[in-house]
Amino acid sequence: MKQSILLAGVLTAFLAIPPLAYGQKAAEQFIPLGQSPGLSGTQTLIGRIEAMDPLSGSVTLTAETGKTGQARVTSATHIWLDRSLLKLGNVRGSMADLIPGRRAEIKFTDANQREAEWVKVELTAP
Amino acid sequence: MNRQWNARRFRLALGLIAALLSPWQDAAAAEAGSDLIARGRHLFFNETFAGNGRTCGTCHPAENNFTLDAAYIARLPASHPLFVAEFQPALKQGFEHPRLMREFGLIRENLDGFDDLDNRFVMRAVPHVLATATSVRSPAGPRTGWSGDGAPGDGSLRAFATGAVIQHFTRSLQRVPGVDFRLPTDAELDALEAYTLSLGRQQELALPLPLKGTQARRGQAIFLDNQLGKCNLCHANAGANADFGAGSQGNLSFDTGVENLPDTPASLSGERIPRDDGFGTPGNGQFNTPPLVEAADTPPFFHNNAAQTVEGAVGFYNSVAFNQSPAGRLLASLDAKGVGIDLDSGQVEAVAAFLRVINALENIREGDALLRATSGSGYFAYALNRENLAQAAKEIGDAERALSQAGLHPQAAARLRESSRLAQWAGYLGLFGEPLVQRALAQLDAARAELIGGTTLVTALEQGRQP
Repeated sequence: MKQSILLAGVLTAFLAIPPLAYGQKAAEQFIPLGQSPGLSGTQTLIGRIEAMDPLSGSVTLTAETGKTGQARVTSATHIWLDRSLLKLGNVRGSMADLIPGRRAEIKFTDANQREAEWVKVELTAP
Repeated sequence: MNRQWNARRFRLALGLIAALLSPWQDAAAAEAGSDLIARGRHLFFNETFAGNGRTCGTCHPAENNFTLDAAYIARLPASHPLFVAEFQPALKQGFEHPRLMREFGLIRENLDGFDDLDNRFVMRAVPHVLATATSVRSPAGPRTGWSGDGAPGDGSLRAFATGAVIQHFTRSLQRVPGVDFRLPTDAELDALEAYTLSLGRQQELALPLPLKGTQARRGQAIFLDNQLGKCNLCHANAGANADFGAGSQGNLSFDTGVENLPDTPASLSGERIPRDDGFGTPGNGQFNTPPLVEAADTPPFFHNNAAQTVEGAVGFYNSVAFNQSPAGRLLASLDAKGVGIDLDSGQVEAVAAFLRVINALENIREGDALLRATSGSGYFAYALNRENLAQAAKEIGDAERALSQAGLHPQAAARLRESSRLAQWAGYLGLFGEPLVQRALAQLDAARAELIGGTTLVTALEQGRQP
C-alpha cells in the first residue's frame, strides 16, 4: 500500500509538468488568416497592424470592431506570410514583415495575451 | 392576482409541453448524432478535399483496422492514391518516401516545420483510430497522432483533419489552400470528429476478466502485477490511459527508448531517416500511449513500426533500449531490486497471449453487434446490411487470426472461422441470409464462452469506467 502511494506520487510528479506542444501545429503555417479551426475569432486577435516597435518587439493591432490589442513578438514567435490570396504558398516571415496597415492574426502563448505564439501577416501583393 | 395566476398556468403549460416533447427531442438528438456520424463516415472514405486524391481512409482503411502495414500495402494497385509520390511529378521529391512506405508502412511527416523538406522530417507508422473516444484525453490537452501533437488550430481531434489535409492531401509542396486542396469546413470537421469518436470501443475494460485460457490468465496476472509486468501502470485496463493508483491520469506521453533500438527494420534499410524526437519542437523524446485492447490485430507496433508482432512489442520492454530510457529508469528507481522490466520468454508469451485474447473478445463484441444489427430487422434490410455483414465477417476473422497466430484456443478459433464464413455468406445471400446470421451468432457465442467465463465481455464493458 505504502509502495503504491509512493509510486503514484513519484510518477505523478514526473509527469506533472507537460511540455509545450508544437508538433504538427507546423501545418498552421498554411492555414489562411482567420481560418484556424477552434482558434480564429475566439482565441486569436485579428486586425490591422497599427504600430510595430522593433526594439521592444511590441506589435499593436486594431480589430475591425475598433478594439486594440498588443502582443510582444519574441524569438520564439513564428511569423508566417499568408500569401493565399495571391495563390502562393505561405512562407516564414520576420519582424520586418509586420508593417503597419497590413492585416494580421495573432495567437497568444497564454491567457494573459502578452506574448505571441504566432503571427500571420496577410500579403495582398507579391 | 389574476395575472400572476395566468403566468403560473403559462409556465406550467410550457413545462408540460417540454416534458411531453422531451422523448422526441432525445430521439431527434440521437438521430442527429447518428446522422453526423454517417456524414463523417462518408467524408472519411470519400472526400478528397480537392487534393491529390487521398481521403482519410487512404491511410486509415476500415478493411485493415484503420491502419497500414506492408502486407496490406502490397495488395494495393499501383494507381492507389497512397502512392501519389510515385506518379504525380509535383510530389516526387519531399512528400513521401516510397521505399519506406512500401516495405515498412511508414508515412512522411513534417512535424518540425516545412522549411527543409529534405532534412527535417520523420517517418511514422499510421496509428489506428479505434477506441479514440477512450484515448484522446489528457491533462495536457487532446492527444492526437503518435507524439500527441498532431493537430493545428486548437490542437483538438476536431482540428486534426485540417492538419492531415495540409500534410497528406496536397497536390504540390507549395500547399496553397484553394489551389492544392481545400480546407475542411466547420461542419465537415464536426462530422469527421463525430465519426472518429464513434469507432470501436467506447469504454475501458474492467480488469481482471474471468479468462479461461491458462496462458492468457497468467498473462493478465503479469500485466496487472505492478512489481512484475508493470504494464497496467501506463496501460490501465489495457487501454491508453495511465493509472498510478490514484485514478485515471488520462493519456500520457513517455520516452520509452524505442528510437534507441539498434535494429529496427527501417533503420536496417540503409535509408537516411532523421531521428524522431517525439513531442514538441525540439522534441522531448516522448510518444503517447496507444490502447492495447486493439493491438493484436493492428500490427506493426510503435511510432516507427519497430516491432512486427505483439510478442515482439511486449519483448521490447525487456530490452536495454527500454530499461535505459527515462521511462525504464523511472520504473527501476521504484523497484525494490532496481529492475525496470525483466520478463522471461514464457512471461512475454503469456502477456502477448492475454493481449491476443482481449483483442479477440473485442472483435467478437464488434462482430456480435454488427450481426445483431442485421438480425431480425426484416428481410428487406438484408440488402442494406450487406456492408455490416461483410464488416462482421472481417471482425470475426480478425478474432480468429489473433488466436490462431499464437496457437491459442484452437476450438474457439475454429468456431470463429465458421462464424466469419457464415456472416460472409449471409451477406452474399441478401434477402435469404437470416438463418445464416443466426448460425453465425450461435458460433460466436460458443467461441466467446470458450474464452471467458462467468460474464460476457459486454457485461465487463458495462462495468467498465468511462475514460
